[in-house]
Amino acid sequence: MTAGNKDLNIYVLVKQVPDTRSKAGVNPDGTIDRAKAGKMLNPFDAFAMEAALSAKRMGGPGSKVTAVSMGPPPAIDILYKALEHGVDKTCLLSDRKLAASDTLATAYALSKTLEYLFKKDGKPDLIFCGLQTTDGDTAQVGPEICERLDLTQVTYVEDFKIENNLVHARKVIEGGAMEVDAKLPALMTIANSYKRLQYKTFRGAKFAQEVKRDEKLQKEFVEIIDLATVEADDMKCGLPGSPTIVSMTWKIGVVGGNCEMHQGKAVSEMIADVISEEKETLKELVTV
Amino acid sequence: MAGEVLIVAEQVHSEIAKVTLELLGEGRKLADKLGSPLSCFILGHKMDSQIQRVIEAGADKVYIADHEELAEYKTLPYRRVILDELKTWATPPHTLLMGSTTTGRDLAPRIAAYFETGLTADTIELDIGPYEHKAGMDKTKIGYFPECLYANRPSFGESLKARILGPWKDPQMATIRPGVFAQPAKSDRDPSTVEVKKVPVNLKEDDFRVTIAKILREEGSKMDISEAEVVIAGGFGLGSQEGFKLLEELAACFKGSVIGASRKAVDVGWIGYPHQVGQTGKTVRPKLYIAAGISGALQHRVGMQKSDKIIAINKDPEAPIFSFADHGIVGDLYHVIPEMITQLKAMKKDKELVAA
Repeated sequence: MTAGNKDLNIYVLVKQVPDTRSKAGVNPDGTIDRAKAGKMLNPFDAFAMEAALSAKRMGGPGSKVTAVSMGPPPAIDILYKALEHGVDKTCLLSDRKLAASDTLATAYALSKTLEYLFKKDGKPDLIFCGLQTTDGDTAQVGPEICERLDLTQVTYVEDFKIENNLVHARKVIEGGAMEVDAKLPALMTIANSYKRLQYKTFRGAKFAQEVKRDEKLQKEFVEIIDLATVEADDMKCGLPGSPTIVSMTWKIGVVGGNCEMHQGKAVSEMIADVISEEKETLKELVTV
Repeated sequence: MAGEVLIVAEQVHSEIAKVTLELLGEGRKLADKLGSPLSCFILGHKMDSQIQRVIEAGADKVYIADHEELAEYKTLPYRRVILDELKTWATPPHTLLMGSTTTGRDLAPRIAAYFETGLTADTIELDIGPYEHKAGMDKTKIGYFPECLYANRPSFGESLKARILGPWKDPQMATIRPGVFAQPAKSDRDPSTVEVKKVPVNLKEDDFRVTIAKILREEGSKMDISEAEVVIAGGFGLGSQEGFKLLEELAACFKGSVIGASRKAVDVGWIGYPHQVGQTGKTVRPKLYIAAGISGALQHRVGMQKSDKIIAINKDPEAPIFSFADHGIVGDLYHVIPEMITQLKAMKKDKELVAA
């Protein structure tokens, strides 16, 4: 605990995304079959989870972290993972009506979920999000939630501490960094230059196992809820609630396609070839 | 008539950012297609001298909010001033564009969520065109829309480009990566015909929930990789963080050179996010791009394919980067790069001898 901090009520938003690093589910033409693809915790959210767990250590002894996700039922995998890493409890918003949500609809559904949790489990001090997801890459959901819930917002955070109930954060800006002081409650999106997620804790791993085996514990620690529970307006969710659509997609052709290959020769020879062919460009740029 | 095409400007040290000028250049084309004015919303302090710059870049109308609390970008004050102004408009802007920068990606979603309108991130192409929504699951959307904002962006992990649109509600919004569009030629418009509106600034106590303690901008090109003439970039194929030391040695051979990185190299923590090139990092268009140990996934490619010359080094002759590089060297980068450094140094010596 860092001096002067009260018990902190912390939320972290996490998403399950297709694992594009594995070959499973990747079609020969490079498209992804989402049903077959492996799944993983959005890599950016691992940084957010580490940030949430760090914040818990900075808070008073009664501080707690709740992980919140939205997705189909198999997404509970990442919530068990959160428990293994030391998150105290988790909640999944799952509803067929959420299919095809764009960022605006996603932010709406998540802000309704957060409001539901705030009512039940207490007002937030801190909410953490990954900077963006690897399957959407928009970085929009965090700030859109802030607009809905009138939250203080700090994006692109790469380091922070909490002292006397104030957040001091360093965030990435163009060409450098900015240090800001933010009042609680605040939502921060965490950049991938933050600390990596630490290993699972022994206690967390044991607890996750217990919850998996016990339905009663599941209801409390891996709570699954739907849109009716959070009193969301169906027309603001999923397809009807999404102001954007993907109207078409097309394959991107090879740009240039005139690559001159240098291979099967001595390294010195290949380099000499490249340098002699690009002499004009290089002459102008080389300084050593 | 369609509403205005509005560009929300970015500035650093009271100077309009390059990305804003790029957006004005592209916005001009969209405004002409719509027959709408192109407008620019400037927020900052002591910005009067910059009005001329945005007019030269093509603006028909300028909104300017000048206040010392707006000197540096802060989410809530900027949000307040923009929303206060837009709320008074009888017709909302047809299109609202911002740079896909740490500022644009922070502010644009706030505005989009307020208006409950669509926002496309990290767009690489823009256009205006028709769209017909036929009977689908959502009946409320059916209709023919002659003037939609088309925002095209790559979909990650898939070698596909997607067109995203949302004509049901204005403003139709998008953020665009810096460097994607060229800077516009100077407009010869008579500045006295351009309407300049001073926007009132009424900030509330609530807007100061976040205060700036310190700004650490590394001046010069070291950090801002998007403006460098030479980018030496490393990927996962470097195998370790140490690989970037070798790249720095190579970078030292060139003037105005910086280190770039693929997302995978940043994700594993070998180098910081400001060095990331690609869809979720920076867009660069240097005279020379050397890619070492980068496979060339679409995510990376969209950030560097406009480089004048691309030299790629990779062990795998099938690496996608070889499909769009100018020179592909198949080999171990730990052999190739030291040799390249030696030969570049020799080349410089020759140059000096000739000069002497």
